[in-house]
Amino acid sequence: MPALDLAQEELGHLTPEAMTEVATALELDPGYVEGVATFYSLFHLTPVGRHHFYVCTNLSCAIRGSAEIVRRFQEATGVKAPDEVTPDGLFSYEEVECLGACEYAPMMRLDQRFHYDLTPEKIDELIADRKAGRTAPPSPAATPPRERGGEPPPSPAATPPRKRRGAAPPSPAAAPPRKRGGTTRKKKADG
Amino acid sequence: MAELRGSSGDAPQNLLTRWFGTPNLHTLDVYESKAGGYTALRKALFDMAPADITNEVKTSGLRGRGGAGFATGVKWSFINRDAPGPKYVVVNADESEPGTAKDRYILENSPHMVVEGILIAAYAVGANQAWVYIRGEYDEPRRMLVEAIDEARAKGYIGPRPMGKDYPLDIQIYRGHGAYICGEETALLESLEGKRAQPRSRPPFPAVKGAWGRPTLLNNVETLATVPTIINMGGAGYAKVGTAKNPGTRLLTVSGNVRKPGVYEVEIGKTFRHVIMELAGGPPEGRKVKVFWPGGSSAPVLPESMLDVTTDAEALAAAKSMGGSGGVIVMDDSHCVVKAAYRLLQFYAHESCGKCTPCRIGQDWAVRTYERILANEGSQIDLDILRSVSDGLQNGRSLCGLGDSGGWVIDSTLRHFRDEYEDHALRHECNVGRVMAHA
Repeated sequence: MPALDLAQEELGHLTPEAMTEVATALELDPGYVEGVATFYSLFHLTPVGRHHFYVCTNLSCAIRGSAEIVRRFQEATGVKAPDEVTPDGLFSYEEVECLGACEYAPMMRLDQRFHYDLTPEKIDELIADRKAGRTAPPSPAATPPRERGGEPPPSPAATPPRKRRGAAPPSPAAAPPRKRGGTTRKKKADG
Repeated sequence: MAELRGSSGDAPQNLLTRWFGTPNLHTLDVYESKAGGYTALRKALFDMAPADITNEVKTSGLRGRGGAGFATGVKWSFINRDAPGPKYVVVNADESEPGTAKDRYILENSPHMVVEGILIAAYAVGANQAWVYIRGEYDEPRRMLVEAIDEARAKGYIGPRPMGKDYPLDIQIYRGHGAYICGEETALLESLEGKRAQPRSRPPFPAVKGAWGRPTLLNNVETLATVPTIINMGGAGYAKVGTAKNPGTRLLTVSGNVRKPGVYEVEIGKTFRHVIMELAGGPPEGRKVKVFWPGGSSAPVLPESMLDVTTDAEALAAAKSMGGSGGVIVMDDSHCVVKAAYRLLQFYAHESCGKCTPCRIGQDWAVRTYERILANEGSQIDLDILRSVSDGLQNGRSLCGLGDSGGWVIDSTLRHFRDEYEDHALRHECNVGRVMAHA
């Protein structure tokens, strides 16, 4: 999983090529790697915006108005569904399960930190700040979030896999190229 | 850090949260100089034999604070300290039970308390290596824990000779990636090994064959954070707090329709009326408590008439519920129970790992039945289906508790709020005005 993490940090989301490369580097079956990647909701298999809003809509937040938060995000950005990204590549969202900060509900995770006591106005503010390039660092101790998203991920042809000792080259038979987006990701029941 | 919402200060029940809110408590210096930190580790390493530590925890009567409530000292004693080869301590910091935020509260306020507890536990069970499995969304708690471990390592409390004792101890952090199922101990171990998090069948229990097939002790963050207090107070001293069968204090996360949501440390045995109406300030003006989940979304619901149930495991079992993770979710009379149950079943259906058929199929079936009922297409047949799906999910038909949890939501809401279900399914009406999110 840390290897998939690295790939996702670099590309913004996990492409089939990236998963194959991870499998090759770790000498694992590509199907196994994809199985792991599709299991966990923090691995993105389709592109996400540079600022991805993880809005909690589980019970404690729902009781305190998370539906309104999601609605305002959709109105303000024009993004209507969790798979969409704004044309400028900046914004996307998903509704997530409890993030463990229920005393501050409704809340969400954005740019590697939690945002509490959300109101529609706060959503407007957060979006405006990010459009203007104003984002507070998560905390003094935090590592700066890496730039990501925006440009399309490099294709295997453009960046040949680096040589690794002892690692077999990815064989097309073992990893048939798959259409991006056509993954077997678990359907979000609330999506 | 955001404003503290919860317990702090020197109230008698604040055994863990006494110093929370103290500036820079998260640094080793302040934790040691102000909060008396690492005295328990020193005492454990130099004044106690490993078996004494386990006995002290047994005497304290501490029960796991993760959800199952198993006796911690007994769990420790299952690990054969003298077995050759590596043994591990794995810390469950994958807090993701809906309505629960207490591990985050501890990690953000006093990460060294957790580090100290881990080191004591590792020494007691004969492990040299501990892993903290922390959920991926906990960015800030993870940073603070990393800093705390680095500080402790620099100071020589973690390393080949902690505090000069010839007993190597190390702690590593492993980041989860968003899967509720990882709160289940064997699924967590699978995930730690880099696999899809699907529960293992037991036996063998992790104490015999856990991480990488080695004897492994798994404990929750709050459980381990309590250990230094027990060593300092003595097991017998700690056992005087709380009820005889369920001693101590625990951190209850109160959320939902209350005026002062927060993480409150409570002496076990107090009533939920005290927790919800006094500590958390009760429901908003003009509203009444309708229903509450006493221990996370998986704990069967209790209606307002049962506010006087106490917070100990025995009283909750008698009320056909459980203490679970200590997440108290309060809903007032402006919300519909059927819609809330629907939202939770969506959650369980989404988080089912798919390994066991009753859970994989049953949760999805329940969601679709709720959808029919809430679309005003329900009938008596749908209520019967819910009943039978609920039975099919429960009683150990799945390897872990996720299946049962969904069943309990259906079962307990049907038991206490049958009329609301009938309003929806038979009369196609909702007598509660406000429509809740996504339902």
